[in-house]
Amino acid sequence: MNEPARHFAAVMLAAGAGALVLFVLHLGLGTVWIPPERVFLALVDRAADPTDRTIVWGLRLPRALLALLVGMMLGLSGALMQSVMRNRLAEPGLTGVSAGGVLMAVVFLAGLWGLPAPRPFLPVAVLGGAIAGCALVLLASQRLGRIDPLRLLLTAVIVNALLVSLTSLVMLRSEYALGSILPWLIGSLNGRVWGDAWIALPWAGLGVPMGLLAARAINLLQLDDDSSRALGLPLHGARLAAFALAAGLAAGALSVAGSVGFIGLAAPNVARVVAGADARRALPLAVMLGCLLLLAADLVAQSVSIKPPIPSSTQRAGLPVGAVLALFGAPLLVVLIRRSVR
Amino acid sequence: MSERAPVRLAGVASGYRRRLVLDGLDLALRRGTITAIVGPNGSGKSTVIRAMARLLPARRGVVLLDGRDVRELTSRDIARRVSVLPQAPSGPAGITVRELVEMGRFPHTGFFGRLGVSGHRAVQEALELTGLADLAARPLDELSGGERQRAWIALALAQGAQTLLLDEPTTFLDVRHQFEVLDLLLSLRRDRGMTIVVVLHHLVHAANYADRVVVMEGGRVVADGAPSDVLTVDLFTRVFGVAARLFIDPESGRSLCLPVGRSMT
Repeated sequence: MNEPARHFAAVMLAAGAGALVLFVLHLGLGTVWIPPERVFLALVDRAADPTDRTIVWGLRLPRALLALLVGMMLGLSGALMQSVMRNRLAEPGLTGVSAGGVLMAVVFLAGLWGLPAPRPFLPVAVLGGAIAGCALVLLASQRLGRIDPLRLLLTAVIVNALLVSLTSLVMLRSEYALGSILPWLIGSLNGRVWGDAWIALPWAGLGVPMGLLAARAINLLQLDDDSSRALGLPLHGARLAAFALAAGLAAGALSVAGSVGFIGLAAPNVARVVAGADARRALPLAVMLGCLLLLAADLVAQSVSIKPPIPSSTQRAGLPVGAVLALFGAPLLVVLIRRSVR
Repeated sequence: MSERAPVRLAGVASGYRRRLVLDGLDLALRRGTITAIVGPNGSGKSTVIRAMARLLPARRGVVLLDGRDVRELTSRDIARRVSVLPQAPSGPAGITVRELVEMGRFPHTGFFGRLGVSGHRAVQEALELTGLADLAARPLDELSGGERQRAWIALALAQGAQTLLLDEPTTFLDVRHQFEVLDLLLSLRRDRGMTIVVVLHHLVHAANYADRVVVMEGGRVVADGAPSDVLTVDLFTRVFGVAARLFIDPESGRSLCLPVGRSMT
């Protein structure tokens, strides 16, 4: 193995070990603290303490798994978007998926439907909004069926602004629903159960391997148009496919965790700093760092509880993970970028 | 010509949305030669290169690679026959030379394939030919202009095509690095029998390195032949609008036409 390959293997191993530690800590932490060795026993040994097994398997494992999956999806989605847009400021939100999905969630929760809106249909509404959001970005930016990275980036920012503004207007009319709306806006994993994990699994199980396997093509997207096409890449199809994949991953994350920001920007940028620009390394590391970041942030969110600032609520609840992510992640990212980007 | 030309344009009209740059261009390359394309700005030199590799579709006429119509070839087929160095290539910040050159294997690995033994060999060979073997681990954006240009040529070489099209590869280089690139092209033709098309602004380079010079003006070929036949005092005046004089190189005895501008006439 040559030098960069060894370095990369070491980095991946360290990140994987870190994720594992955080995962076990995440399972242990909560109203009742379960030490790591008992968490481990509860996971693997059917004869372990039944209370431990109930807490770990029934309550905490789905949430920890979700943190893992959502982090992976957002890390990869951001890395894909940065290649599609050839811009390191790109992130999953620019697919239009979260702005569209959140708008529909808010419309749904505010009861603007006009019709009775049974709760189980919320995910359907969100997914519809997500698809509409990214379709709007694509349609508004394409010209003659072609997607130009800069045009796509500008259009995405504008479409997002439009959708966010509509969301604000809807929210102004429905302050009573704020309590259920806020977690969608901020991004939260509170109270997630197995059902949510099963929703996220197919998105991640399909999307993440697909993205990682396509690293060669993603690499070519980072070149100028003529160079990538001269190398035999069907450029516009590849760009569209990578965008669609990024949107799918973002939609998967959105449907279970709401609009979680920052990870999709931070993970790929840190991955680039550490592993370089080659997608064969940067993509897997972005995936790994995404889940590392979300596990760490959710660990914090889970262990701090607050009384939500909503008139009707009396219960204390955990912090929404989206609220703490940037708080701890941003200083780290600034340091890394100051050290590496000239 | 009994042998099939590596690249042949027949009656090609091509250009951009509102502007047709080429209109009925005929040009066939001879295998194992260096063809220089020269001409004033906007004469269609880059368009010819782009049409040859189907980066720009021909609206009329046909482009044939080894006798096969490019419209019937996949992007990958084309990339295996022809590699292109665009005028202003760009790659992601921080990419290393080796990572860049490895991208040249895409037409062989496809979306999901691995580089493999032959791929690694081709990459290493390309790095050595361009004198970059020692710089392979360095980030592209830390190299000098000449080294960076060689890295892009190495990418094109790793592609393994027998025809190489270069759009102004020497334009932003100092004189020593210009000769480095040109000497490399010469050795590629000599040692590997590659067919090379190079767009050049310096007519002296065209005179010294090309087997054949194609002069373009307004999207048409206005002169085509051996450098000494084509690059005449008359051509400089007619096509480029500058005065020129004929010099004899005392070393080689060859005649050389040099532009001197209007003020010195």
